[in-house]
Amino acid sequence: MDDRQFVRTYVVTGGDFQGGGRMSTDIKDTLKDLGFPPALIRRVAIAAYEAEMNVVMYARSATVTLRVTPDCIGLEVIDQGSGIPDVPLAMQEGYSTATAEMREMGFGAGMGLPNIKRNADEFVIASEVGRGTDLAIRVRVH
Amino acid sequence: MDLTPALGPRPPASETGESGLTLDEVRQVLDAETIWCPEPSVRAEWVVAADLMSDVLICQAPGRLLLTSLVNQQAIRTAAIMDFAGVVFVRGKSPRADVVELAQEKRVPVFVTALPTFEAAGVLYAALRARTGTRDGTSCDG
Repeated sequence: MDDRQFVRTYVVTGGDFQGGGRMSTDIKDTLKDLGFPPALIRRVAIAAYEAEMNVVMYARSATVTLRVTPDCIGLEVIDQGSGIPDVPLAMQEGYSTATAEMREMGFGAGMGLPNIKRNADEFVIASEVGRGTDLAIRVRVH
Repeated sequence: MDLTPALGPRPPASETGESGLTLDEVRQVLDAETIWCPEPSVRAEWVVAADLMSDVLICQAPGRLLLTSLVNQQAIRTAAIMDFAGVVFVRGKSPRADVVELAQEKRVPVFVTALPTFEAAGVLYAALRARTGTRDGTSCDG
C-alpha cells in the first residue's frame, strides 16, 4: 500500500459570486501539476465547481479538503448554512430553490448535486437544517 | 439570414483527418471581434449554446465552443474547467476588463459576435456540419 498523500484545504465564502470558481480552477491546476490525465481531472474539477457554487449560493461558508493519493482523489465539503430539508428531492435533476439573482449568474438549474454524483465514484451527503451540509466524494484513479 | 456555410464545402473529417472549425474560422463565420485569442488555429469540435452554466457542466466532451450571453467570470471559469476551445459572447456583449483578464490567465480564447444566440448557433451548426459531415455522439448527454 502506497501511503503517499497530498492534502490541501480551502475556505469558500458564501455569496462571493465574483470569486466563485477560484477553488475549483486551483484544484484543476493542482491535479494537472500532479500528473493526472485530463479526463480524470475534468471529472474532479466539475464536481468541485458544482460544490463550490452550491456553497456560494446557499451557505455562509465552507471548508473544503482535497485529498489525493495514488489511487483516489477525494473532496470533502463541510458547509455552515441553512442545510437541505429534503436531500432526496435536492438530488432530483431540475429541482432548484435558486433565486433570480443566482440564475443571472448562470447557476441554479437544479443540476448541481446530481452532476456531482455523476462525476464521482463514491458520493455521500448528509445535511441538517440550521447547521449545514457535509458532502464527500471520491474519484478512483484507476 | 443566410445559413449557408460561409466557408464553402469541405471534405468530411474522415478524409482530411481534421474535424471542427479553427477559432479563426469561427471568427470568420460569425463576423466576430477577437477579444483574446493567442492560437487561432486551435479547433472547436462542437458548440454548446447556453446561459446556465449548470447546463454546460453536464457536457463531458472537451474541445467545444461555449456560445453564451452570460458575460461574466463564471462563463470563463466554466470553459476553463471543461477544457473548452473558447467562448463566444453573443449580441455584441463585450466582456469587462476583469473577465478578459481571467480569460488570459486561464488561457480561454474570447470572441464577441453581434449575432443573437439562435442565429450564431445556426451559422456554426451549418459550418460544422459542412466540415465534419454527419456524425454521432455530438449531443450533450453527459
